[in-house]
Amino acid sequence: MDAITVPASLASLEEVAGYVRALAEQGSLPARAAYNLRLAVDEIVTNIIMHGYREGPGEIRVSGGLERDHVWLQVADQAPPFDPRTVDSGPQPNTPPMDMQLGGLGLFLALKAVDGFSYEFTNGTNINTLTMSSASYGGCS
Amino acid sequence: MAFTTFLSVTDHTATIELVGELDSGSAPKLHRVIEEALRSDVSCLELQAAELSYMSSAGLRALLFARQKLGEDGSVIMLGAPQEVARTVRLAGLEASIKLTDT
Repeated sequence: MDAITVPASLASLEEVAGYVRALAEQGSLPARAAYNLRLAVDEIVTNIIMHGYREGPGEIRVSGGLERDHVWLQVADQAPPFDPRTVDSGPQPNTPPMDMQLGGLGLFLALKAVDGFSYEFTNGTNINTLTMSSASYGGCS
Repeated sequence: MAFTTFLSVTDHTATIELVGELDSGSAPKLHRVIEEALRSDVSCLELQAAELSYMSSAGLRALLFARQKLGEDGSVIMLGAPQEVARTVRLAGLEASIKLTDT
């Protein structure tokens, strides 16, 4: 699919969601996998807007395509280098509700939701690559 | 898709119907409604979630905010959440904070 470039603003989330939806349809992803891919992309893009660009100006490029057995989607930005896998933010099942904090939860959900994730920083660009198997119902179970 | 809420308060229970998609763009709206709801003498927050078609971590944060505002004896119940939404609550480890029920 042709890439889109959107401003680093929460107002862009809807356009990004539409892109993911279209890609999931083209790739015939099951509903649950499509939902999970959208969740993962949403969380990663939100994190780039809020923490990467710190709500300042910037651009985010989203591209994606279909392979024989999976859909891939790439999110790229020029914010400072940041690998989402470095955030340790799993659930806190033993923490009382009153003490619980949810920093980093979005990235935890994102990485759980997809079948594959890779990150690289090249030429000043963060590149997050997500994959979802066409036969999969998503890793988020 | 837009996100809409409908709030009603009876006795000590506030009920918020959630309709549409709840992401970091729309979560501030829920945050405001929760603050409005908790201005009354409320100990339980019921979220009617059957029409909540999507929820990201921003939505979970708003719900935990409500749970914490209600204090130790308060409760937050999510009713009729679609499968995907309920799974996100569980995966986030929030089942103890946000009780999920079918109806």
